[in-house]
Amino acid sequence: MHVVCCIKQVPDTTQVKIDPETNTLVRAGVESIVNPYDLVATEVAVQLVEKYGGKVTVISMGPSQAEAALRECLSLGADEAILLSDRAFAGADTWVTSYTLSRAIVKIAETDPVDIIICGKQAIDGDTAQTGPGLATWLDYNQFTYVAKIMGVENDTIKVRREVEGGSEIITGKFPVLLTVELELTTVRYACLPELVRSLRQEVRVWGARDIDALPERLGLKGSPTSVRQIFAPPVRTGGLVFDMGEDKGKALTDFLDTFFEKEAGLLSTITSEKQE
Amino acid sequence: MPRNAGGKEIAEIIPKKCIGCELCLAECPVDAIVMESGVARIDAEKCIGCGKCFDVCPAGAVIFEKPRRKRAAAKKAGPSGDYQGVAVFIEVQKGRGADVSWELIGKARELAGKLGTKVSGFLLGNKVASVAKEAVAYGCDIVYMMDKPVLQTYLSRVYGKALVQLCQQVKPEVLLLGATPLGRDVSSVVATRLGTGLTADCTGLDIDTERRLLLMTRPTFGGSIMATILCQKERPQMSTVRPRVMKMPERDPERQGEILGIDFEPPQEELPRVIEFIPEAAEGDGMDITRVSALVVLGKGACNARSLPLLEELAGLLGGTVACSRAVVEAGFLPYLRQVGQTGKTVAPKVYIGVGVSGAVQHLVGMQSSEKIVAINTDRNAPLVQIADYALIGDYQEIVPQLLEGIKSRMRSR
Repeated sequence: MHVVCCIKQVPDTTQVKIDPETNTLVRAGVESIVNPYDLVATEVAVQLVEKYGGKVTVISMGPSQAEAALRECLSLGADEAILLSDRAFAGADTWVTSYTLSRAIVKIAETDPVDIIICGKQAIDGDTAQTGPGLATWLDYNQFTYVAKIMGVENDTIKVRREVEGGSEIITGKFPVLLTVELELTTVRYACLPELVRSLRQEVRVWGARDIDALPERLGLKGSPTSVRQIFAPPVRTGGLVFDMGEDKGKALTDFLDTFFEKEAGLLSTITSEKQE
Repeated sequence: MPRNAGGKEIAEIIPKKCIGCELCLAECPVDAIVMESGVARIDAEKCIGCGKCFDVCPAGAVIFEKPRRKRAAAKKAGPSGDYQGVAVFIEVQKGRGADVSWELIGKARELAGKLGTKVSGFLLGNKVASVAKEAVAYGCDIVYMMDKPVLQTYLSRVYGKALVQLCQQVKPEVLLLGATPLGRDVSSVVATRLGTGLTADCTGLDIDTERRLLLMTRPTFGGSIMATILCQKERPQMSTVRPRVMKMPERDPERQGEILGIDFEPPQEELPRVIEFIPEAAEGDGMDITRVSALVVLGKGACNARSLPLLEELAGLLGGTVACSRAVVEAGFLPYLRQVGQTGKTVAPKVYIGVGVSGAVQHLVGMQSSEKIVAINTDRNAPLVQIADYALIGDYQEIVPQLLEGIKSRMRSR
């Protein structure tokens, strides 16, 4: 079984801060991490191969620094890593990203047919959840998004449980198939020392636009159907009234309730009328 | 203006403003821009002072003042060509139209008004004629309906093919879908097939009437910035919107509209099979945290089994239920279904009461559209306290019982 994982290096959004004076995002100095969903994707791929045999290839599109992200996935047990890096790729939106990845997978599959592609459900910087389904569509693979459990693999068929509106469904489909995975699917292991050492020594191949035989007009910023017109700080909710219990507990609370019931009378009556329905 | 050794007036990047989107990297004709610790930097000696990075930067992070020729007259208005009208994908849930679809029809009416065009509904399903009538009542001028047994259950390939066919036949200039699991899945398939742009999870939609373009605004970087996205050349301009972001329109059963049945040939290849549907287990009071009007949300600071009944009582008093932050789920205290935030659910109740919730960015993005926010916290500087409409500073174990008493007596006297 050949499993390909598509991963992305992202800024750690937990570290992203807003400059209080200019109200803009401070990106400088923020650490880059592997998108947490993609770590789960890699872990799932490695577990599948441990159980059913085969190999795991991880690929990522990004600048040369993204090599570090691929090495982290190698340390979790992935066998091979390919970095898609080319100036022509920069500025890609999700349509172009999924096209570029699809060209790389076509090339990988020439020598080593692909059975399963696993992607994280979404990346934490963009949150679009579009690249996985787009990739499956370019390749004409079956696609199962929001996978919460892999129930099993039999010959060339996989059975999974995926989250849907109002519950979950159990679905089966034939290889080749693309899965996007939820965080709760599994816990990501800690890399052991021999794997860490191997991941540092191993070669990470770098492919550019020519290597994957991609149409130049479908790449990067110029190939992207969408463009960013402007960015701005989100509307800030300014703080409201503060009632400090440290001083006079009873009074602070009564003050709060008096104010709340007076100012939010309308709100409270809609809530309580809905409650009665 | 700074100059380089070659005497060229060069562009500079303000690292504090750079958001690391790499758009300038792609635009630079001479490879003069590199990424360094998350932000772009211009190599002064390579820069030729063309100003392209300045033009493309969405964050205003490039300093460039050299007077330039005016850009050739602004590009012609986005040619929507024979693409006309605003379409809404009507999602069917348990045989009925999803609320989010009606919310989107409301928004579509507003957009269509600005464009001087019509609103159409794209409806896929099995035995859904009554849903089509509802779509008219909520504001569709015309509903294109594929009513087939094969559309009973969602499969990406089947729905993807059907929706692509409708887009090619009807040629809407805008297509809106709910950002539900189904909507997000099928929208990507359709956009990829049609080679058009798709913007996920928009919180604002508007029209640039001069250029007839859809302005799609969405939070990005975990909600810390907002971006307005355009799809200039391709049609339809596609966007998904989360439930409860747009306002529910008035339903008018007297409204007149056309319903057109459209034929559909399912794909011939072997398809995946849905074996079983497992409804969400009713846990606790079985309430869906995205649908109730009042939420009492437990944070790390209130992860205590003894206080849970009190907090549940408080929520019940307001007709709501309890939810929590990620830390509480990780502690195994409440199930994942109750989690609010980036990796959990997005909620927008009328009243949100955070108890011991500090308010990390990832939590805030999932609740900041709440109508009124109350924070109960010992830490005056907690981020949630900063944005709350009402902040109660103190120990929740003392505050909550008194709050319960106070609310009860005031409710009785109303």
